[in-house]
This record gives sequence, structure tokens and C-alpha cells, in this order.
Amino acid sequence: MSADPARWHSSTSSGGNRMEFKNFSLYINQTKVNRFAGELAAGKLMSTLCKKCGRQYYPPQADCPSCMGSEMEWKELKAEGGLVTFTRIHVPPEHFAVRQPLMPFSSVQFEPCPIGLIRVEKGLTIMGWIPKVDIKKIRIGMKMKASPFTLPDGKITIVLEPI
Amino acid sequence: MKKVAIVGIGHGKFGIRSDACLRELVFEAVKACLEDAGIALKEVDSMVTGVAGDEFSFGIQPSAQVHDYIGFYPKPNFRVEGACATGSVALRTGWMNIVSGLADVVLVVGVEKMTEVPTSMATEIMGRAGDSIWEYPFGTTFPGYYAMIANAHMAEYGTTEEQLAMVAVKNHHYGCLNPYAQMQKEITLDKALTSFIVAHPLKLFDCSLITDGAAAVLLASEEKARAISKKPVWVAGLGCATDAMRMGDRKSLTSLQASLEAARTAYKMAGVGPSDIDIATVHDCFTIAEIVAYEDLGFCEKGEGGKLIEAKETYAEGRIPVNVDGGLKSKGHPLGATGVSMAIEITKQLRGEAGPRQVKEPEIGLTHNVGGSGQVALIHIFRRE
Repeated sequence: MSADPARWHSSTSSGGNRMEFKNFSLYINQTKVNRFAGELAAGKLMSTLCKKCGRQYYPPQADCPSCMGSEMEWKELKAEGGLVTFTRIHVPPEHFAVRQPLMPFSSVQFEPCPIGLIRVEKGLTIMGWIPKVDIKKIRIGMKMKASPFTLPDGKITIVLEPI
Repeated sequence: MKKVAIVGIGHGKFGIRSDACLRELVFEAVKACLEDAGIALKEVDSMVTGVAGDEFSFGIQPSAQVHDYIGFYPKPNFRVEGACATGSVALRTGWMNIVSGLADVVLVVGVEKMTEVPTSMATEIMGRAGDSIWEYPFGTTFPGYYAMIANAHMAEYGTTEEQLAMVAVKNHHYGCLNPYAQMQKEITLDKALTSFIVAHPLKLFDCSLITDGAAAVLLASEEKARAISKKPVWVAGLGCATDAMRMGDRKSLTSLQASLEAARTAYKMAGVGPSDIDIATVHDCFTIAEIVAYEDLGFCEKGEGGKLIEAKETYAEGRIPVNVDGGLKSKGHPLGATGVSMAIEITKQLRGEAGPRQVKEPEIGLTHNVGGSGQVALIHIFRRE
């Protein structure tokens, strides 16, 4: 990544893979780390590394508050570690809410998916969905890995699975 | 440093106020506040308005709505914001106004009109008040953030769902004694434990409410305070601290670093410690938040918060009464008004005017107000004469 902001908006800044950042963030499409979404779509969980002081960032940052530098390089994360905490949100925000079905006398059963936070290298943490573990079997400290995941609607996200 | 006191308090009715808009809610609180102080609005030099979110009430420039409707212009007024701690940010700003010498008498208003939008929309607005880029894509909500704190606390210290429910039972009990509270309903432990899950392990009764409401306090410099009030309540210490936006970047998930740091600052400024506090209002947006606050404020050892409520030590007759006004849990949580409402309860208690929920002759009181999932915390310590 260059310190020249113009380059962050070029097609190459998304890792050669044009991907709207909104496909990950749902709302925000303008960020200096748009490349994160492209890399995620290509199967990589990327962090940024400050070229000057070496501090690593996940979520990736374009700027380093440790040394006030803005010369960063991209680095793939070794996305494995212990589960720090988790929950399962039964009352979702509007964006995720299940609409009433249009057919009379019908219903939709809403079975929410747990989410969690794992701690990986350098103390960094990754948030993700936990689609494959029963909430009763989720334990803080369990070893998990984070992987990119493409949803049926084309959006990209991150899932956590036990290893 | 100049001394500053609360010399007037005005609390509007909290609840689903479909009868009034934002500016009308403020009028109720300001009118009550000026009546309590026994002065006219023309004697007020300056004003601060705390409103957390424009999106709830579609109110861009809410401070102008307020100073217009109460007839305060052309005197100074502006809006401040600190998410759920907005009311305390307003109070702190009012204090700064006086200490700086810019004003002698300052009106501090906190207000939020949250029910103009449906609950699912309010849930979304608050969910996005976490990290909107990196957390919200995982469907996070405010209950979700505190649920993650609860699960971490339960795993590390053995805190139980029953202990969480005990906080709800206590705060509902005191809400019944507070005529301004949104909920006027006792609940049983069983009812709390069997209510539906909002975000595992938090259930309906672990969560505070979505509320409309306003509250106002009048601050004055020492000279003015003595002229206006027979029972001034002095601001003895202030603390404000911040923490990382994303929960994953925090040093701990079982305490709020911002609370710890704000408490340290406020205790030092007031020259007191946790054992000197006679009464506290803490940020119980969720039951787990009250338990974590007990620990962060030093009312018990780290990890012992669950046992403190189990022993009923935070009831009015206990060692350290907490949220005997019903708390956010039962009184309601209109974001911008909450911090001001907390200061009002402490003022009533220190004046000895808290009626059926009065604790025995308190001298020193504390308010603890948290913004977001812990991104900012403000603590104020008050003393009576």
C-alpha cells in the first residue's frame, strides 16, 4: 500500500479482485482498506503491518497510531486461536430482521447463528459467525480458526470453526 | 479551582411518551428544574444540551429545537454527545463552563426521544454505535455486546444467570418507588429467569428499556449556589476516560477499562475512596453491566460482583446502595437524559428528599455513566454540605 491516497482507489488496490467493500461491511464502501474485501473474497484474511514500527493491525488500518505512520503493507493472518467470548443474538437489528412471510397462515422459524471472537497471533482478535457449533457446546477458550465465507447473496463474511 | 454545585433539579416522566415531542419533553424538565431552584430562566447564563442520536427522532440540530422552545436565545447553547453517557458529558461540560469563568449559572439538559422509530430500528441504530465497520456486519446489537461481556464474566468468575436476574429484581423493586420510572412493576427471580432470550445469556429482564424522557439540572458557582439554594450539592470529583472502539481490542472483557480509569481520576479529585461512597447510581444498561460496575468502582473485589447482589448489599439498607431509583433497567434509559437523571437521584438522596427510597443520611454519592459498550465512561462524585 502506498501513502498516496490516489492509489488506494485504483483497481489494483483491491488485490486485483474488484469487490465492493459494502459486500463485507453492509453500509460503508469508502475506506482506505477496501482491499480487505477483495482479499476476503479471494479466500484470504488480511491484516496490515506498519512498515515503520512493525505494529500489526486486524481489522486492517491504513494508518498507524503507534508511530503516526501511513506506510503499511498487507500480511495474511494465521487465523487460529482460542475463543475469547461469544453470544447468540435472538433479537436482531432491522438490517438482519426476519420479515413476516407474505403467505397467510404461514410462519418463519428464526434460528439465529452464534457469533464469537477469537484471539490470534500478536493478540489480535477476529469476529465471526459460528454456524456449525451448538450454542450449548460453545466454550470460551476452545481452539477455532477463522475463514472467509461467501454467502448465497454474494456478500462476504467470516466464519469460525473448531479445529 | 472554583467550586460548582447542583442548585436545581427537574425530572420529566420517563416512558413511551407518544404524547410529546423532544422539545416538549425538555420543557417539562426545565420548568421543574427552575421551580426547584426558585429562579427564572433569565438568570441562567448558559446552557448545554445532551442528545445522543439524531436518528431516533429525526432531529437534526436538536439543541436549537430546545433553546428555541424554552425561549433561551440569544444566550449560549450547544449540543454534546457521548452515546449512552451523553447526559454526563453535558453535566461535565456545564461544570467546565463555570470553572472556566465563562458562566456562573448553567442549565444542563439531557433528552432523548427514542420511540419515534420502531424497536427494530432503534436496535439497529444502537447496534451501529459499536464498530459500524467491523462489528455490525456480524449482526451485533447492544444486548449482543453486553452478552459477550456476560459470557466472559461467567466463564472467568462463575457469575450466574441467577445473580444477573437478582439485579433486575432489585431495580424493578425500586422502579416501583420512583414515580418518574417507566416500569412500575415488581418482578420475581423466576419471571426474570424464564423471560425470552434477547442475546444469549441475556434475557428480556436483563435489558434496560427504550425510553423517551428528559432531565435537567442547574449548576452554579459557589457564590451563586449559596444565594440560590439552601441545600447545594457540590461536585467534588469528575472522571472521564475512553477505551477502544472494538470489543476485541480491549484489555479485558470482564471489566471496563474506561470505568476503572474514570473512577481512579474521580476518587483522586474528590479525595475519597470506594468505601466513602454512601450511594451510587451506576450504568445498568444490562444486569451484567451493574455487576461489572460494582467491581470497577471498587465496591467489591474483582469477580465478586455477583456475590454482592446475592448478599443484597446494594439494596437501600445494604453496605452500598446502588440504583435505588430503579436504574436504567426499570426507570428507563433515554440515552441523553440518563446521566442527568443519575445526578438528580444523587442530589435528591443527598438532600434527603428521596421519599420512600431514601437511604440513611448519605453524605457522598457517585454517578457512573458508560457510553457505548465501554468506549467512554464518566464518573461524578457529589457531596452535601
